[in-house]
Amino acid sequence: MEEITLTINGKKISARPGSSILDAATENGIKIPTLCHHRHLTPVGACRICLVEDEKSGRIMASCVTPVSQDMAIRTDSPTVRRHRTNIVRLMMANHPESCIVCSRGNKCELRQVAADLGVGITGLYPMPYYRGLEQANPFIIRDLSKCILCGRCIRADHELVVVGAIDYNLRGFRSRPATAHDMPLEKSECTFCGTCVSLCPTGALSIGNPRYVGSPEKESATVCGFCGVGCTLVMGSVDGQVVETNPSHEDETVNQSTLCVRGHFAHDFLNVKERLTRPLIRKGGELSPSTWEEALNLISERLLSIKKTHGPQSLGLYGSSKCTNEENYLFQRIARSLLETNNVDNGGNVNGLSTMNAVAQRLGGSIPPARLSALEDAEVILVIGADPTQSLPVVGYFLKRASRNNGVPMIVADPRKNGLVPFASLWLPLSPQTDSDLIHALAAILYKREAFDARYIDRFTQGFDLYQKGLAAFDLGRASRSTGLESGLMEEAADQLQGKKIAFVVGQGVLLQRNGVQTMHALLNLALMTGSLGDQKRGIYILASENNGIGALDMGCAPGFLPGRGLVTDEARREYWERIWGVRLSPDPGLSMVRMVEEAEKGNLKALYVMGENPLRGFPEIERVRRAFQNLEFLVVQDILSNETGALADVVLPGAAFSEKAGSFTNLEGRIQSFESVVLPQGEAKPDLEILAQLAYRMGQADQDFSLLKIRREIRRVIPAYSELRDDPGQSWVTEMGDLGQADEEGHPVEFTPIAFAADRLRDDTYPLEGILTSTRLHLGSGTRTGLSARITGFSQGGDVELSFEDAARLDLVNGDQVRVSSKYGAVARRVRVKKDLPFGLVYIPVAFYGNEARQLVALTQPGKEESPGWMQVSVKVEKIENNEQ
Amino acid sequence: MDHEFSADEETLKDIASELTRFEIKRSNVIPILQMIQERHAYLAPEAIRMVAEHLGMAACEVYGVATFYNQFRFQPPGKHQIKVCLGTACHVKGGDIILENFERKLGISEGQTTPDREFSIDRVACVGCCALAPVAIVDETVYGKVAPSKVEGLILGFEIEKEKEERRKQRDESN
Ligand code: SF4
Ligand code: SF4
Ligand code: SF4
Ligand code: FES
Ligand code: FES
Repeated sequence: MEEITLTINGKKISARPGSSILDAATENGIKIPTLCHHRHLTPVGACRICLVEDEKSGRIMASCVTPVSQDMAIRTDSPTVRRHRTNIVRLMMANHPESCIVCSRGNKCELRQVAADLGVGITGLYPMPYYRGLEQANPFIIRDLSKCILCGRCIRADHELVVVGAIDYNLRGFRSRPATAHDMPLEKSECTFCGTCVSLCPTGALSIGNPRYVGSPEKESATVCGFCGVGCTLVMGSVDGQVVETNPSHEDETVNQSTLCVRGHFAHDFLNVKERLTRPLIRKGGELSPSTWEEALNLISERLLSIKKTHGPQSLGLYGSSKCTNEENYLFQRIARSLLETNNVDNGGNVNGLSTMNAVAQRLGGSIPPARLSALEDAEVILVIGADPTQSLPVVGYFLKRASRNNGVPMIVADPRKNGLVPFASLWLPLSPQTDSDLIHALAAILYKREAFDARYIDRFTQGFDLYQKGLAAFDLGRASRSTGLESGLMEEAADQLQGKKIAFVVGQGVLLQRNGVQTMHALLNLALMTGSLGDQKRGIYILASENNGIGALDMGCAPGFLPGRGLVTDEARREYWERIWGVRLSPDPGLSMVRMVEEAEKGNLKALYVMGENPLRGFPEIERVRRAFQNLEFLVVQDILSNETGALADVVLPGAAFSEKAGSFTNLEGRIQSFESVVLPQGEAKPDLEILAQLAYRMGQADQDFSLLKIRREIRRVIPAYSELRDDPGQSWVTEMGDLGQADEEGHPVEFTPIAFAADRLRDDTYPLEGILTSTRLHLGSGTRTGLSARITGFSQGGDVELSFEDAARLDLVNGDQVRVSSKYGAVARRVRVKKDLPFGLVYIPVAFYGNEARQLVALTQPGKEESPGWMQVSVKVEKIENNEQ
Repeated sequence: MDHEFSADEETLKDIASELTRFEIKRSNVIPILQMIQERHAYLAPEAIRMVAEHLGMAACEVYGVATFYNQFRFQPPGKHQIKVCLGTACHVKGGDIILENFERKLGISEGQTTPDREFSIDRVACVGCCALAPVAIVDETVYGKVAPSKVEGLILGFEIEKEKEERRKQRDESN
């Protein structure tokens, strides 16, 4: 397009047609004050502070909403402009309360800045503040709307960015304010407490409830959120070496832009709790007592080496962390494989679902090519399955809601219950639990019958379509309709929406942790291949990794059966590659998963376990079994930031630094590798995990090696091609292709279709007639160890209520708020009941992560994604009312 | 919903069935709100939500639109409806002071209803008896030349009435 030329303040500049005067000025380094404008929001021209003057006509106009035109001549700072601006600010200040001086927005208040720049001190107007009570009943957000300047940024943030719709202007004129429906407190509205509106408010009208600090922090530094697989970029404000507040980073090109979710914004409270470990501990005379690093590390090194000597390397196990950095996980597994000579390494993210993804990724030569979240917003069609990202990975939820709301992208949501995305869906498929694979096969079969497949793609990148299409032709749609409980018309409608399009699949823990998870993943991959929906970063399969470095930990080889770069341990060529690099012999044994390690510990075969940054005694099913297994060990090391249930059993406890206290990198679910620096120093004597591991390696016989961060990063770049762009300085890079699809025409292998089979019949048990489904909520992550230590999160909700349908509640004589016992063959939990009108009967939803994550005690200890595993998602239960006198 | 001005089941059913007559487009929001107000005298929180759901809008948006116009009420009319005239004559004679007295006495503002739904206050324009200004109308009875002391008396009267009523009820029950 032809550029437009104009002059601003006498300077000739050029601009893109359609851009605003403000944008053109900013791009050319000319500053115009703004208040209601924000680069991530639609411009509305509400505050008029950005006024400029048209030299020719003398017209005054708001530069943020006026587009440039050819030969325009603009003055941004003429006396007239200044006079108008000053008047606007004076009016705003006159409407402002005196509490301005002690406002927590402090010197970050944009109104104050603008006023100061214009030299507005005393307004000279009769002050007429509009007092409204302070609203601070919830622990997250304080609203002091007397300080509101009606810029509407909060409303646009709420509607445009996070697409919640909790607040809007109400009333008009002097009394107009952003408010919820019926002006109720936020906690009675749809508000999710993502805090995005607070981050974007230019004044102190919205501020965060901060029990620990009021005012502007001394220092702000960028880092990455410690919770889910989105990996939002944050800035953390700190005072005296303590993190006191969190906001979305101001950088461009971040995954989250200006948004965050309630966890990212508020749950980082755990960084400063008294449960933080600050010194190494050694068990002496049955008690854990403080020791020195020297003593602790020597003890660990001696014990591990001597157990290895007596019982062999297979008696050792190492459990790494999907919350630790890439560099740490790399070194961790390297110590395991090359120094301790065992392949018994796993990580929490792998146990919690990613192993299911892995089982299927092998068809693609290692990994499913990551697709970018931003591509969701202009996808052709989206299929969400086994996922409610509005709870689990809220920022992914924002992407999906924006795609649907703003761009009209059709979105099919397959979920037994009306989850948070359903109101935005073009079609809701309320299928029966664990029948997802039948549904996917059925959709493929319908598309096949309509000849809606991508023959060129199939030809070029795949093999085995012949057999697969026979399966599709013979597929029994009637049976699929019965098993999924979906009428065939509904499935046809879904096929209508998918037909002829590239599909973006969004897959969550509902698939990854279920009994038929692997089968479903295979079915999805087949459908993706058949429709040519894989391989160009624009669509594809989005796996909702629940932990912030689940993907990175896998890429670094911190998982049983996998070497770094996702090569199989059992693949001799891959092994040789790593043998050359590390200068050791590698065992061809694939190694044990953490679940198998527990079983081997029970049998007495596993003697020592090293746990880094995970808390299996809270995260695992059948906790008592795990506890006994751990007690059976000769030696247990726990390296963590918090004193937790697992640490309480350990022989040695090492205090690690939290992510905000160290440098490293995390890889998010779209393959974005983010390198970051520390925000504050580690607490007490705690050390970054990398440093601890390096010192341990030194003691275990690798004194000649330098395992510094720089060295490890250099090694990763050199030996894991997908990470060749990993950065030393803070910032992002991308995982480059690891699978076959990218290069299928050159050296990549064609991808196999797999045969079709119906999902196994539902497991029925008359004693436990209901189906319990374990769900996560946005307030907590994982087992809730960290979020559960956040005072603001726990202060907000006791929560954890189980949800039942009207029918079941009536049958069981239950009303809202009744206490019930939910029990399965494996355990029981006591919770309050909430009766939901949209739930299908026969299902009970039980939130995990509350009360020590006891909900996990309802399921059996097996490895999800393995043939025989019933999964960790769902279990037959019964529900009984607890009478008052029993309590 | 745990709101003091929740609508009853019957109202909600009526709204649900009426809603189906309206096409799903945003421009229908005002006609729908008018329909509800006409049939049920006010817009209950549930009603707002139903409208939002029907039109695929957020509840706060619907509420925002509704509060923009003076014609909508969000609280049901009280058992005793107080209307204070603020027409020109009444205004000149201090009608606003009378309004303020009612508001202060009952702890609500004009357009609102007391939580026990006993009283609601509204302002009206000239009711045609300017000679009596300032004027207030309570339950169809017109009171002229209202003074602050009269406000006290009026409300007190209703309260005594209510107390008597309750005592009578109690007596009947114990008999
Ligand atoms: S916290 Fe988030 S959901 Fe709540 S009003 Fe603000 S932007 Fe909307
Ligand atoms: S609360 Fe803040 S962001 Fe919202 S309109 Fe007022 S000043 Fe703007
Ligand atoms: S928990 Fe996930 S969505 Fe929320 S702020 Fe952190 S990375 Fe973003
Ligand atoms: S910044 Fe342009 S009108 Fe507010
Ligand atoms: S102005 Fe009040 S009755 Fe006419």
